[in-house]
Amino acid sequence: MLKRYRNLGLSILVILLGIFAIYLVSGVRPDVMLRSIVTSAFGSIYGLSETLTKAIPLMLCGLGLSLSFRSSVWNIGAEGQLLMGAVGATWIVLYVMPNAPKLVLIPIMFLVGAICGGIWALIPAILKVKFNLNEIIVSLMLNYIAIEFVNYLVYGPWKSPYEWGFPYSTKFPTSAQLPRILDTRIHYPTLILALILAIIIYIILYKSKLGYEIRVIGDNIDAARYAGLDIHRIILLVFLLSGGLAGLAGVGEVAGIHHRLRVASGISSGYGYTAVIVAWLGCLDPLLIILVSFLFGGLLVGGDAIQVSLGLPGATINFINSLILIFVLVQGFSNARIPSIRKRKSER
Amino acid sequence: MSFILEILKATIPAGTPLLLGALGEIYTERSGILNLGVEGMMIMGAVSAFGITAITGNVWLGVLVSAIVGGGMALIHAFNSITLKANQTLSGLSLTMLGLGLSGLIGKRYVGVPLLNKLHSLPIYGLKDIPLIGPILFDQDPLVYISYLLTFVFWFFLFNTRFGIELRSVGESPDVADSAGIDVSKIQYLAVFIGGIMAGLGGAYLSVVYAPAWIEGMTAGMGWIVLAITIFSLWRPERAILGSYLFGGIRVLQYKLQPFGISPNLLNMLPFIFTILVLMLASKEISRKRISAPSSLGIPYFREKL
Amino acid sequence: MKGKFSVALSLVLLVALIINTAYGVGAEKKLKVAFIYVGPIGDYGWSHAHEMARQSLIKKLPWVEFLPPAESVPEADAVRFIDRFVREEKADVIFTTSFGYMDATIEAGKKYPDKIFFHCSGYTRSKNVGTYFAELYQIYYLNGLMAGALTKTNKVGYVGAHPIPEVVRHINAFALGVQEVNPKATVDVRWLFSWYDPSKARMAAESLISDGCDVLAFTEDSPTVVTVGEEYTKKGKPVYTFGHYSPMQKYGPNSCVSGQLVHWEVIYRDILEKIRRKVYTNTNLENVDYWWLLKERAVELGGDFGVPINPKFIPALKEKKVTNSVFGKISVYDLVMKRLSQMKANPEKFDPFTGPIKDQTGKVRIEAGRRATHDELWNMDWFVPNVIAKIPR
Repeated sequence: MLKRYRNLGLSILVILLGIFAIYLVSGVRPDVMLRSIVTSAFGSIYGLSETLTKAIPLMLCGLGLSLSFRSSVWNIGAEGQLLMGAVGATWIVLYVMPNAPKLVLIPIMFLVGAICGGIWALIPAILKVKFNLNEIIVSLMLNYIAIEFVNYLVYGPWKSPYEWGFPYSTKFPTSAQLPRILDTRIHYPTLILALILAIIIYIILYKSKLGYEIRVIGDNIDAARYAGLDIHRIILLVFLLSGGLAGLAGVGEVAGIHHRLRVASGISSGYGYTAVIVAWLGCLDPLLIILVSFLFGGLLVGGDAIQVSLGLPGATINFINSLILIFVLVQGFSNARIPSIRKRKSER
Repeated sequence: MSFILEILKATIPAGTPLLLGALGEIYTERSGILNLGVEGMMIMGAVSAFGITAITGNVWLGVLVSAIVGGGMALIHAFNSITLKANQTLSGLSLTMLGLGLSGLIGKRYVGVPLLNKLHSLPIYGLKDIPLIGPILFDQDPLVYISYLLTFVFWFFLFNTRFGIELRSVGESPDVADSAGIDVSKIQYLAVFIGGIMAGLGGAYLSVVYAPAWIEGMTAGMGWIVLAITIFSLWRPERAILGSYLFGGIRVLQYKLQPFGISPNLLNMLPFIFTILVLMLASKEISRKRISAPSSLGIPYFREKL
Repeated sequence: MKGKFSVALSLVLLVALIINTAYGVGAEKKLKVAFIYVGPIGDYGWSHAHEMARQSLIKKLPWVEFLPPAESVPEADAVRFIDRFVREEKADVIFTTSFGYMDATIEAGKKYPDKIFFHCSGYTRSKNVGTYFAELYQIYYLNGLMAGALTKTNKVGYVGAHPIPEVVRHINAFALGVQEVNPKATVDVRWLFSWYDPSKARMAAESLISDGCDVLAFTEDSPTVVTVGEEYTKKGKPVYTFGHYSPMQKYGPNSCVSGQLVHWEVIYRDILEKIRRKVYTNTNLENVDYWWLLKERAVELGGDFGVPINPKFIPALKEKKVTNSVFGKISVYDLVMKRLSQMKANPEKFDPFTGPIKDQTGKVRIEAGRRATHDELWNMDWFVPNVIAKIPR
């Protein structure tokens, strides 16, 4: 437990180092930049509300990814799965049951979004299990395909007749718009869903047979095979679940923020990739991931601030994020999570 | 006829950055190290080549620096995976993210800057008049010729020199190599470094020859396609050339197919769908011919203490 | 003693500071203006042109404080950037310069009713959100006249960024120009689905050239098409091009015939001066929509400022004669100049989108003698008959 908090503290240190590197490139003083990030993200009610809004998709994607990384399979496709979730929700709202009442529509929207994200994630899983394909490359390729698919929809069959030919779907009816807290953009149904799911996943992971199996496979795949676990089934299940969670995030973005489907870059600014870092920095622990998501939501919000008020490029924050990931790696708590590597040594 | 000729001629430059990257990754993986950071190294190569060329006006200096930058990036991965024995997958991913972020930061001032000095095509006298293949292969820019040469050199060294044997044995079984007196981590460091140099060159080709321009995120997934080509080539340089031009052709074909009324968005998916198909093909072939990836790929080598 | 003195001094300074900030030095409170760009400032296209306008106004409008602009703002994040400008930077007027920001701008208008917003290229307005646009279709028509005269293969190419009404309108205007001087010529289109991606633009341009096109126009934010044209021309296969948005003739002195240039500063200046004079307030923008063309001087013909046609190509254009229903037998050069002055006149004496205009299926879209309305132009989702490409659906 203590080690976790130490890591969390050290990660903040790496942010500081990254900021210094940025100083060398751009000449913006580190303290000025840090103050700008912190005050904009955490220094006001408004900043906090935006941080929380950004944290919602990170939580859901990060939770899903943690399941996959826990079992030592690499789902890097959360970005695409999020987008497919958004597509599923849009399909339900605009083309299946546009007139359904709110209480029916919203749950079904989330359900279908989760299914769409899950199915999208099953593709790399099936290809891995059946053809032994590298799931990292396949899930990444599917991100690019999903982006083009969303763009195809909004430029093609789903382009709204009411939007003057611009690539927008028709606006969602109010019955499909998620309620928000006061005048913030926090679509709280998605947030509550994320928190509940974090607890459920925590229970699955540490208190259920499935969780035990996931952890055994992640820790030592040879031992799992020895014990007669159905590894293929578990890999499929893990991908289905992690894709489903990312799909929920996509539903939250279209139903809670945009209220329509639009071009892919308008829906997600790389949440699926940031979530990889969130999952690892959260030590693949569901509850810690919630906390880390909030931190990274803040970083993303701070990223806008340093762009507007200090003139730094938007990529700056991506750079800081990647440094954090390297730090996570160098700290070695990714190794600790995949002891199969060490096991292999003792086998020799 | 000229229609097909034009496509083939355009295919080669479109496939060249992939070829350069794949040659390097083949060496890296042959040594037993998996480097998923190709995308990051390529884009850093692209931004540094562009920056140096824009400042100095010398394309070749830009290309040189991109190789050094790519190699330097790769050393981070080498340190992580060989010295620290950290998780190679995660290290590669972080390298990709680092490259994408840092290149955006450095490259901001080069966005939209036009490059006035660039490499022009240089038809090779005599060779370019060979019927059919002449105008396709030998009416290109100098870097393309260098990529032909490098393919040969990489093939030759891998299969016909002592270094090649050492490299392959390290990737197959590091402990055997170690007991035969080969310095495993030295070979691995070198192989990863070469991989970085080549990825850097691939990026340079994109930004100073092909586009020529700097755009944030301009590699757009090419680094991942390089990884797929590496598998498709069964870790053989001479097959990488085939895979790379196949993908180059697909990219060119996208615009050729637009007039047939297929949605350009769907056509844009082609390279990515094709990657998955190619991986499946390679997987079939691997199991049929009983070829395997270098058997210690991705597994850190811990030297037994005697 | 020394201590007391320094306390007194700092008190005086503090008071001075308070007075200074409370009342300000000088009379007028400066208008704080913010810009949000979708692309990078250096993209040499859309965002670059807006930034050039902003820069030129910094000196001309000393009563305005221009905040540092936000560039490369993704559509998904526009709301937060607006929030930041309003809450942290205390901006009074915000210009959002991409159609993708429309929802965000309207939403912000509701949230901050005492601020003024102007959204570029949108179609939704509210009491404190106006819209504006500098439209190039008349210039594209003039470029089309030249393209029709210069093509030898009777195949003209067009590289389009996205299939949205703005680009469709440009292609149609260009094709109408081609049609007028060369009824045999066709216009083919390749889509990039990107505003700025030189390597895609290059592939698209080369693909058109290999299909036989020898004149290229485009809507995309880089000079790639012009550089490709220059390369081919130098190799002995002339490809003529038209620059877009920024002066691009220098990238293709032997290929770039003319082009479209924009003067956003004309519109920005007008808006800001009217805000200063309280003509525009936060309650009366419901119907404020700038749709400025040649007659307002918001756009200019040429590959470089002050050069309507690259002198290299003037002889060829003067040589080419066509028979025109209004002017009789006339050289294309004179035709371009006549049409240009007709469209510069206020009110215009000519507009390319005047009926009869049919679409690809032969359906009459604009009846004989009628000029297309603003809404028809905004909604345009059909091609004129000599365009052989289709709009992706």
